Formats: sequence, C-alpha cells, structure tokens
Amino acid sequence: MNRTILITPFIVLTAICLFFLIFILLEKNPNDPPSALLNKTLPTFSSINLYDKEETYSSDSLKGKYTLINFFASWCAPCRAEHHLFFKIKKEIPELYILGFSHKDDLDDSKKYLEEEGNPYSYVGIDRDGKIAFDFGVFGLPETFIVNKDGEIIYKHTGPLTKKIIEDEIAILF
Amino acid sequence: MKLQFFFKIFYIIFFSFSLYANESIDNKVKKLTLELRCMTCQNQSVYDSDSDYSKDVKIFVKEKFEEGLNEKEIKKILTKRYGEYILFKPYFNSKNLFLWLFPFILVILSMIILLKNSKKTKR
Repeated sequence: MNRTILITPFIVLTAICLFFLIFILLEKNPNDPPSALLNKTLPTFSSINLYDKEETYSSDSLKGKYTLINFFASWCAPCRAEHHLFFKIKKEIPELYILGFSHKDDLDDSKKYLEEEGNPYSYVGIDRDGKIAFDFGVFGLPETFIVNKDGEIIYKHTGPLTKKIIEDEIAILF
Repeated sequence: MKLQFFFKIFYIIFFSFSLYANESIDNKVKKLTLELRCMTCQNQSVYDSDSDYSKDVKIFVKEKFEEGLNEKEIKKILTKRYGEYILFKPYFNSKNLFLWLFPFILVILSMIILLKNSKKTKR
C-alpha cells in the first residue's frame, strides 16, 4: 500500500511529462513548421514581369481579389510535379488570381520551363535574388500562399501540392 | 618625407579600424546565427549549415548589423517571418511559460513528495 502511494505521483508526473513532450515535439515537426505569416497581412513587394521588363507588379495590386502566390524555379523538381495542378485550380476556382514568382532562377530557364509545362499564372514576377521569398518566410521550394481580398495570408503550403491538398485544404476556402 | 610617413600611419590606423569593425560584425553574425535554426536541415544551426536558406539568412543578418540594428531587433524581424521556430532558445513569454517553468515545478513537486515520504518513514 505504502509503495503504491510512493510510486503513484511519479507515474502521474512521468505521464504528464510525456504528454507535454509529445505535444511540443508534434508542434515542432521540422517537416511542417508553423507558419508565422498566417492570418497576417502579406509582405509588401514589387516585382518585374518575366515577359516584360517595363511592367511591375506590387502587393497593393492584390487588394480586392483572392490570390494564389506560388514560388517556383525551373531547377526545382517538386515544382514540376505540382505545376499541372495550377491549371486544375484555374479551372475550378476561376476567381482566383494566380501569381507565380520565378525564384532564384535564370530568366531564360524560367521561360523555357513555362513553355514546356504551360503557363497557368496570371502574372509571373521575377524574384532573382530571393528577397521577396525571404520576406514571405519561404525556406524551400515550392511554396504556395493564398491571400484573401483584404490582403491577409489565409493559407500556406510548403512542398508540392497534390489533388488531395487542393480538394481538402484549398477548395474549401472558397 | 614627413608627409609620406604621416599618410602611411593614417592608412595603417584607418585599415586596422575597418578590419576591426568587420571582424566585430562577423563575430556578431556568428553569435546570432549559432542561435538560429536552419529550417531546411536537421538540428543544425544557420551558422553551421551551407544550405541556400542558411546562406540567405547569414547575408540578411550581416546586412542588418551593418545597417545598425541590434541582435534583438534582427531576431524580431526573423521571428516575424519564420516564427519562433527559427530560434533554438524560445522567448520567455506566456506561450512558453510552461516550457521554462516545468523543470522547476517538477523539482519542487518531487521535493515535496520526497519530504512527505521521508517524514512518514521516520514515524
């Protein structure tokens, strides 16, 4: 009896410790770190059009419309894997403005990539030095953001999109 | 001749000062980037990593130090973009209060239990 009383608090404490340890570890999964920009105003940016050096596009232009922002590069294999899905998104959610950023890529390579895979983007901006991506907290390609009419980031996905992700996580936002 | 000597001394002092300033910034960058997590690596600091992401963070940190920002301000900018996850050592705030206090709570509780039980055994 005495021994049980002695051991019980330690068992309870160990259980509590384990519970919180699991909770902390789950929250800090390195493959899916929490996004700091979610539900916050998108960072300000200004980017030159990939096809027209005279044309620029700024973050102010996004106000009043739902926008999907995708960071891609011709050298990024997972970007190629998800690329065709943007045509699906464009077809299923026509009100969504799709903005692509050619990230740290040779401009000719980006153009060639879009010629080969097709261009689903409403606008393709250049992020040659990666500064726009840095402001968006991008740390690996591809990364996709969805911005609402008020300019708030309402969704972020790191890694390639899949049909399931589009159906379960993106389509439900509209 | 005297003028030449004066210029030589001036150059030596000027360059040693700029070298010292650069070294001091490099040290600050090293100290801070050692506290930052490389988000694309497994348990590696930004300083120790050669990934593209870590290189960008190192450049950013150096630029901000050169602009005159301090460590706290740079950390604030980075956590705004990447979240507190980028810091190896989390902030001491209400969200992380449990994380910081739990070891102490555990020690105190253990001490109480130990004292109670030792008293019981003495009786």
